Amino acid sequence: MTAVNHGRGTGTWPKLTLRPALLVPVAAVGFAALVGLALIAAIGVPVSGAIAAFVDGTFGSLYVIAASINRSTAFALVGFGFVLANRASLTNVGGEGQIAVGGIAATAVALYGHVAALPLGLSFILPMLAAVAAGALWGALAAVLKVKSGTNEVISTLLLSFIGVWLLYWCVQSPALLRKPMTSSATLPESLEIPDETKLPLLTGDYSFPLHVGLPLTLVIAVVVAVLLSKTVLGFRLRAVGLNPVAAHRAGISYARTVVFALATAGALGGLAGALMLLGEQYTLKDGFSSGYGFDGLVAGLLSRGSIPGVIAASLLFGFMRSGGINMEMAAAVPTALVVVIQGLIVITLAGAALVIERWERS
Amino acid sequence: MSWELFAVFLGSSIRLATPLLLAGIGEMVSERAGVLNMSIEGMMLTSAFAAAVGAWATGDPLIGLLIGIIAVQPVALLQAVLSNTLRANQIVSGIGINILVLGATTLAYREIFGARSRAEIPGLAKIKPPLLGDIPVIGSAVFEQVWLLYAGIALIVATALVLRYTSVGLAIHAAGAEPKAVDKSGLSVARIRYGCVLFAGLMASLSGAFLSIGDIHTFTEGMTRGAGYLAIASVIFGKWRIGGTVFACLLFGAATALQFQLPALGINVPNALLIMLPYLLALLAVGGLVGRQMAPAALGEPYRR
Repeated sequence: MTAVNHGRGTGTWPKLTLRPALLVPVAAVGFAALVGLALIAAIGVPVSGAIAAFVDGTFGSLYVIAASINRSTAFALVGFGFVLANRASLTNVGGEGQIAVGGIAATAVALYGHVAALPLGLSFILPMLAAVAAGALWGALAAVLKVKSGTNEVISTLLLSFIGVWLLYWCVQSPALLRKPMTSSATLPESLEIPDETKLPLLTGDYSFPLHVGLPLTLVIAVVVAVLLSKTVLGFRLRAVGLNPVAAHRAGISYARTVVFALATAGALGGLAGALMLLGEQYTLKDGFSSGYGFDGLVAGLLSRGSIPGVIAASLLFGFMRSGGINMEMAAAVPTALVVVIQGLIVITLAGAALVIERWERS
Repeated sequence: MSWELFAVFLGSSIRLATPLLLAGIGEMVSERAGVLNMSIEGMMLTSAFAAAVGAWATGDPLIGLLIGIIAVQPVALLQAVLSNTLRANQIVSGIGINILVLGATTLAYREIFGARSRAEIPGLAKIKPPLLGDIPVIGSAVFEQVWLLYAGIALIVATALVLRYTSVGLAIHAAGAEPKAVDKSGLSVARIRYGCVLFAGLMASLSGAFLSIGDIHTFTEGMTRGAGYLAIASVIFGKWRIGGTVFACLLFGAATALQFQLPALGINVPNALLIMLPYLLALLAVGGLVGRQMAPAALGEPYRR
């Protein structure tokens, strides 16, 4: 199985002009956006009105800006995990399920773990840690299957995604699990709202600009992952296993341990993304909780071609695009599915351009 | 369990296994030639949508089926170009196609039918084969199925014969195992692989059409719900063999049918667990329950001369 990228770290470029790894994604996004505009025109919506609705939905108020950034943190965490695993030539497409099990664990601990009264922020840190552990377990399962029976991690992480999503459905359907007490037949299949103490604190303390602590946390993790990948022995091991597992083994690097580390870490970041979504944004667990965030994070990871700043840029792009898409649907009657079309086009264009980029980089 | 109930269970297992069977055999041929088609899911969804629109607009499910088949071929061609000519990562390009198709069909569905429509769409006829269908008690419950299933069985048998007894079958096998040797023998690896991906597209289009105009006579957004990935898992489960793949598909079909059967028997199992069951089985299967996997040697690797 070929790798998505070839392990190029950040800041290792000798010259700044015409970097294909930067130019091609930008061109792909531009191309996809043009197709999106053509589609808007094709379904008979005035393009100017749709653009106005899009811009209003992305930058129209401090509230939507904060909501977009909060959403981007979840994409970015999944994207970092994708990049990290991909350094070892592993393709983690299980973000959706990792977010789901993270959300389940965070909800369970926040509601029933008696954490609300704990000091020092433990009231929301413990649910987060539970989510990280659950996500790591979900990722490690795929790793163990890969090491023990050679199961392709793409298939196993995908199947685990479906299982995770249905597990969440089970949790919110069953009163014995996380469903709120049924007082009547009209009780919705969702959890109770988590206690206020377990919600992520807002940076400004102001609900009209609800940026939460997930943002600084994500930035710290970005630095840690970037340093880990480019400056540490662990990063070197990932790359060695990714480039040539046999040679890495001869050099004394354990294939099994590296694969488990890579996929478990990617899973942990996915679980953390689920925790941020639950503790910082949704507050109750319901069916459809992961809402495609895992796939958006995956696409962000792909777009970045292995660069952490690239993941951040792509995540912000998708975070704002979703807000804009939602407002386009409400204000200009353009279905949000348009944004999905654009994302699909970006992935296909980039996958198809990999050969071009490689040749360009060599010349 | 009474015979009648068992027959209903058997019949619905076969019905639910049919889309997996059709798509799974196409995928198997493509994988035998060395191309991993993650886009099966997207191809099925394309056809489910196109066939539904075609049948709805013309009132003729047969024309719908034809439109479904035709609509998938450009998608299959795109996958073939990406994975052969452009030597793109087959997994990434396949997932990209699936995302694109999910968005495009949802968008087009909203435009054509409106947001909350459940338009009733004319569907393909059911047939009851003579002899088998006349067996008392179980005959019609098991064998009265949409004719596309029987057409599909014929296609699968034909595929098995071609793979086993013809030079084409040998060439397909070699393209996945030893592409260099195929190249040296003067055959074109690219041409074989293009053909196999287009064949996988054809089978996926029958599968998708079965979902919308064969089984439930309507289209819902994202209605494949991972069936394409189950089809891929069934190929792995079946160790890249026709018999094994068919068995895996029937097993997944039966697991899905339990969802409707167990509650009817008064057995109380959480619904979510039953919905999850085929994926759980698939995970166990690809996770080594069937022993070490013997994938075609060059699976997933673009060939470069």
